[in-house]
Amino acid sequence: MDLFLQFLANGLVQGMFYALSALGLTLIFGLMRVVNFAHGEFYMMGGLLGWYVTSRLGLDFFTGLVLVTLVMAAFGWLVDRLLIERVRHLGEEPGILLTIGLSIFLVNTAMLIVGTAPEKVAGPVGNAPLIFGPIVLTKLRLFAVGCCAAAIVAAHLLIRKTRLGRAMRATFQDPMAARLAGINTARVYASTFALGTTLAAISGMLLGSIYVVQVSVGGVVSLKAFVVVILGGMGSFAGAIVGGLVLGIAEAMWGGYLSTGLVDIVGFVIVILTLIFRPYGLFSTRAERA
Amino acid sequence: MQKLGLIKAMTAAGLLISASAFAQDTIKIGLIQPLTGSVAYNGQADVAGAKQAVDERNAKGGVLGKKVELVIEDGQCKPANSVNAAEKLIQRDKVVAMVGAFCSSATAAVIPVTEKYQMPLVTGVSSEASLTQKGYKHFFRATETDALLAHTFAKIIYNNLHLKKIAYIGVNDDWGRGGVAEFSKQMGALGASNAMTEYFDHGTTDFYTLLTKLKASGADGVFVAAETQDGSILVKQIKELGLNIKVFGVGSWATSDFISLAGPAAEGIYAAVPYSATMKTPKNEAFVKTYFARNKENPGKYGAAGYNSLNIMMEAIERAKSTDAAKITSALQKTDYEGPNGHFRFMPNGQAWGFNAVLVQIRNKVPEVVMMAPIDQPQ
Repeated sequence: MDLFLQFLANGLVQGMFYALSALGLTLIFGLMRVVNFAHGEFYMMGGLLGWYVTSRLGLDFFTGLVLVTLVMAAFGWLVDRLLIERVRHLGEEPGILLTIGLSIFLVNTAMLIVGTAPEKVAGPVGNAPLIFGPIVLTKLRLFAVGCCAAAIVAAHLLIRKTRLGRAMRATFQDPMAARLAGINTARVYASTFALGTTLAAISGMLLGSIYVVQVSVGGVVSLKAFVVVILGGMGSFAGAIVGGLVLGIAEAMWGGYLSTGLVDIVGFVIVILTLIFRPYGLFSTRAERA
Repeated sequence: MQKLGLIKAMTAAGLLISASAFAQDTIKIGLIQPLTGSVAYNGQADVAGAKQAVDERNAKGGVLGKKVELVIEDGQCKPANSVNAAEKLIQRDKVVAMVGAFCSSATAAVIPVTEKYQMPLVTGVSSEASLTQKGYKHFFRATETDALLAHTFAKIIYNNLHLKKIAYIGVNDDWGRGGVAEFSKQMGALGASNAMTEYFDHGTTDFYTLLTKLKASGADGVFVAAETQDGSILVKQIKELGLNIKVFGVGSWATSDFISLAGPAAEGIYAAVPYSATMKTPKNEAFVKTYFARNKENPGKYGAAGYNSLNIMMEAIERAKSTDAAKITSALQKTDYEGPNGHFRFMPNGQAWGFNAVLVQIRNKVPEVVMMAPIDQPQ
């Protein structure tokens, strides 16, 4: 039983991390219909920038996080205005090719600048074990779970409660009508993309303080994020959270009671089952679309 | 302005022509390493060592009176890419010999190509045992296999660390599984019981589940076969979970990167490695000094591997007195090379022996050599 509780705790923590790192992907897909294959690379950039500002510039974690957020939001905005804009009305395939190309470009540029060595982000709190009965966690992990929850709530409120969020949803439902109603849709798209990029980068910096971050990290991150998004339903916030937790707990239980060597099989099985039985995911937002 | 551009272009063209004319007078050696992908970091270290070997040799006049030119290709540790790289090096670049291709699976795919062209191939890294057991004529391995390392160190570890119940954790590939299999066999023969055997995939970041099992297994020591990235996270999380257990590992553990990534969690860890920058031989001290000056960090296992394999190849070409592949191969068989980590000779099947491996313990951020032992000639 003690063992089960520890596995469950591991799975919940890991699941929150998966949820956060999938949020940017689901947002960009849900609101913009862009399948962003450069998602893992945005995560990598967030992590490496986080390492740079905390280790090289010597800033504390929170100042660094603000700086990384600003830089990556600006970057996301520019990517949308300069690149995505050009393929916006051409269907989904050109967007896929564009983001695949972008991901290759970003990996290789990062490799030229920082090299291939793994780096760590200086964390905001200590890493000593915290013991709750049979469960061991660390302060840093609890802090990160808190941050994940905060980021998810903040993004949710932004989309549901603010003027910008309403404009985003309106543009997603019917771009033409939104334009007729006086919404500057180009700006809405750029803001959405910037928001998705920033969420990916924040998770990169946060998780970089718990694990390490390196240029080649993007592939694995994208893989898990796609599993979460396919399970939860493309574009659904609740879906990303539930999908993340399901994946995290399933992996922890599989690893705990069967074999950690085959743990990546869990994600693929989930994807296959979802595609067979609920091809639009657990929480599909498909019905909302006009 | 336009005129200036024209002059620039002409100068550039002139340079290109002279460069290619110059290239005719070099001896080309091909090097296939992962420069991108998940083990790029280790591949780059190998390349740094290889470049140092070539530059040192060229400064002394090169090989057969010509400069050596290193043609580097990215194999990404993937069999298909490595085979393409090998074909390109042979067909287009006309290299006379090759070194590579890091991952055992990639090297296993390259060997049939080099055998077809009868091209000599030395690897300084790929340790999967069966590579030298298939009767290849032109393939040489200038590093240890898991079995040789296990054979040399199992007894030392068992006696020094007083372990009775050991858990085994390895990365989920040929190398990790091979390392775990060999060490558990040797340790088992000495009387240590097996508490747990588990594997994880390359690039895994969260080991809590695995370590929860480790805690529950009641082992008093854990053997880990992992590279820098995975290994450093793993030992960090061992400390985070408050596990008090003796850790000994194989892989690139005795490096400054590993120690800085793992931080205080690295203290007290034992590692059985074929190379450590702290080995006290005159050859090694000179090698480390130059390597540090060039790369601003101390060499690890892979830097030394690149350095050794290129030196072995260049010495063989010099002794062959020719760039003829058959002559280089027979010169390689007579290798008698003194490297930073000892004396290399080859068995008839291409497996090296005689060089040293070390057991280090990380103390105060330095991998201190606990024990140095030569790899015996395999039976």
